This record gives sequence, structure tokens and C-alpha cells, in this order.
Amino acid sequence: MNEVSLLYNFLLVGGLLFVLGMIGFLVRRNMIVMFLCAEMMLQGVSVTLIGFGRHHGGLVESATSTAASTAAASAGPWGGQMLVIFIIAVAACEAGIAMALVLMLYRQSGTLDAAYWQDLREETLPPFVDREVPEERQEDRVWPRLTPSGVEPPIDPDELLHRPRV
Amino acid sequence: MTVPLAIPALLADLPTVKEICSCNSFWAILVGSLAVWVLLPNRIPYGKTIGGVLAIVASGLFASDWPLLGNWTDQAVFWLLAGITLGAAVGTICSRSPVYSAIWFALSLLGTAGLFFFNGAQFLGVATIVVYAGAIVVTFLFVIMLSQPEGHSAYDRITWGWFPKTFSVLAAATMVAVLTFLLGNLRTEAAGSFSSESAAEYQARLTAQGAVLDQDHMANLGRHLFAEHLISVEVAGTLLLVALVGAVAIAIQGRPRLARRIEEALR
Repeated sequence: MNEVSLLYNFLLVGGLLFVLGMIGFLVRRNMIVMFLCAEMMLQGVSVTLIGFGRHHGGLVESATSTAASTAAASAGPWGGQMLVIFIIAVAACEAGIAMALVLMLYRQSGTLDAAYWQDLREETLPPFVDREVPEERQEDRVWPRLTPSGVEPPIDPDELLHRPRV
Repeated sequence: MTVPLAIPALLADLPTVKEICSCNSFWAILVGSLAVWVLLPNRIPYGKTIGGVLAIVASGLFASDWPLLGNWTDQAVFWLLAGITLGAAVGTICSRSPVYSAIWFALSLLGTAGLFFFNGAQFLGVATIVVYAGAIVVTFLFVIMLSQPEGHSAYDRITWGWFPKTFSVLAAATMVAVLTFLLGNLRTEAAGSFSSESAAEYQARLTAQGAVLDQDHMANLGRHLFAEHLISVEVAGTLLLVALVGAVAIAIQGRPRLARRIEEALR
């Protein structure tokens, strides 16, 4: 296999993955989707590092190598994979904190929309107002249905009051 | 040893317009960014179809410009994995429903894990699947718990408006274009003479004792991790503990304010 073109392809795949995550993070407004996009950027960096790890994977210290090349080789074969291990650890921390934050923001606002928090913006900036929210298309509105069976239970009117969707 | 400044050297070999126009990667980036722009939530009729066709064209253009791996099985496996990873990534950012976003993201992670396996990082491929499977399940729970059960929310059907959307896609296209440009030397090197003799030599070095493709992959990885990065492992463990405590602290503080609830109930 051509190792140099393998490295080139992996660098570009990693770059594209990072960039797609960046677009999603900047453009989407659902906080859960923004969190997924942040994770995707980390994946892009991981792919790049794994590509480099394979490329430098043959730099094993040998008995004949000089001191300088030994120092260079000490991070050589495994450096990329070590970094990815720590990226996964940090991503796990980030996931925990991000989910707690999303939960707290949802409890205070009742929506996952990031635009709800736009009063944190600079004083001089105009407010962001939604114009022309597109109608939901009919084909997106189809939801799976179960065949009704059994007896319909009596519905407590109090339930309907605070759980209107049930 | 002096390091030469990068910018004058880069300015010296800027490509001409003709070179740019004859480069497939340039057209791939152009078509691909247009595809992402069309696919993102908006009001364009038949947006999914148009964007899908454009995305397929862009991936074909990319595939035609990337250097070949030299072996048809490897090449097919790489294209399949890269296609799954990037296609599912586009699906993640373009799905209207967060549930579909989470599913697409899981598929993208499977593709990434496949790429790790392809590059000889067996432990990390498995670790990615194991760690992120839990993360995806938790995300599902959150989506089901928090998002609107009766359909798509308004904020999932629109974005911040055309200006941020256009310029984030443009910024992304510029980043990929600069990356492609900077990797030009690597590409000519890859397309150049990589004889089977040097390939075999390289392979021998990669599978040597203690190298990445050695048979004792896990033993080498563990030895390296716990010998050379022991303090980093300890610090990572501490970081996880601190994140756990922080998450619990944030979640406890976030109880809904009583005054707001009363106000909403009276409204």
C-alpha cells in the first residue's frame, strides 16, 4: 500500500469531518445537535492523529540509532494513538458537562433553542428575530401508529391539565 | 537551526487561476459546499434531492483527485469507510429531527472506528465504539426526554438566517481549500514513484518489533501508555472526577425557578 497517499487521504478525511462539525455547530440551533457536532470535530482531529500515527508507526528505536534520533523516535510510533486516547477521555468529560448544562438550560427555558438565550448578546447588537419559519411538510409529519387494543382507560382530567400531550 | 518563515514561501508558489480551474479538488470543494448549503434546514423546494445529487457529484470529484492507495481491495475499503463517515456526518448536520441526527452520528462513529481499524489502531477502534455507544444512548434519552414529541420544533426547521449559514459554509470551504493547498507537496510525493520495493521496506518497518502494526499491538500500547504517559493518565483520571463533580453540581443548581413556574401557570 502507498503509505504517503494513505496519510494524505486520512488528513483530508479528518479535515472534512472537522469542517462539517464546525458548520453544524455554527448553523444549527438545537443544543443537542450542537453538542453532537462538537463531538464530530473531535472525531475529525482523531482521524488526523491516527493517520499520523500510522505514518510514523515505524520509528522504532533500534540499538544502532544515535541519541538524537532516539529522542525523536521516543514519541514516534505511539504518539498519535496516545493523543487519541486522551482526546476520548476529555470528550467523555465534555459530554458529561454538556449534558448537565443542556438539562439545566432546558429546565429554565423549556426549549432546546439556543436563540432563547440571545439576551446574553452585546448591547449594541439588534435582537435576532425569526422570519418566515417554514411550514412543516406533510411527509415529515407521519408518525408510527400502533393498532389499538383493549379497553380505553378512564382519563383523569387533572392529567390532561399538566400533561397535555399524553 | 532556523525555521524559515512559512508565509513568503507560500506566497512564492501560489497557484495560478488556470491551475486552480484544472484541479478537481477545487470543484469538489465548490460543489460540496453548495450541497451542504442546500441540505441545511431551509425553504428550498426539493432541497434534499438537489443537495444529495450535488453531494454525490462532490464525492466523485474528491475521489478522482485523491491519490490511489495502489491496491484495489484497500482502495475499495477506504472509499467505503470514508464515504460512510462523511455522508453520515452530512446527515447529522442536515437532519431536521434530532433523533435522526443522533442516528446519523452513530453511523459516522462506526465509519470512524472502521477507519481506525483500517489504519492499524485496533484498540482505539474498539474504544471509540464502546465509549461513544454509551454517549449515543444518553443522547437518545435526552432527545426523547427534552424534544417536542408531537413533531419537529420550529428551531429545527430554520437556522440563524442566510448570512451565518452562507458564511460558515464559506469558512469551512476555505479551510478545506487551504488544507488541500498546503498538502500539495505530500500529494505530488504520493503520486510520484513509490516503488514496490520501498513499500515492502516500509511495511517491514511498520510490522517490526514494537511498531504500530506489530502483532502484540495491545501489549505495546499498554506498555507505552503506562510507562511514558503515566502522569498524564493520572491527570486524565482526575479530570474525569472533576467533570463528574461539576456535572452533578450544575444539575443540582438547575432546578426551575419557582417564580417563573407560577408565572407560566397563571399565564
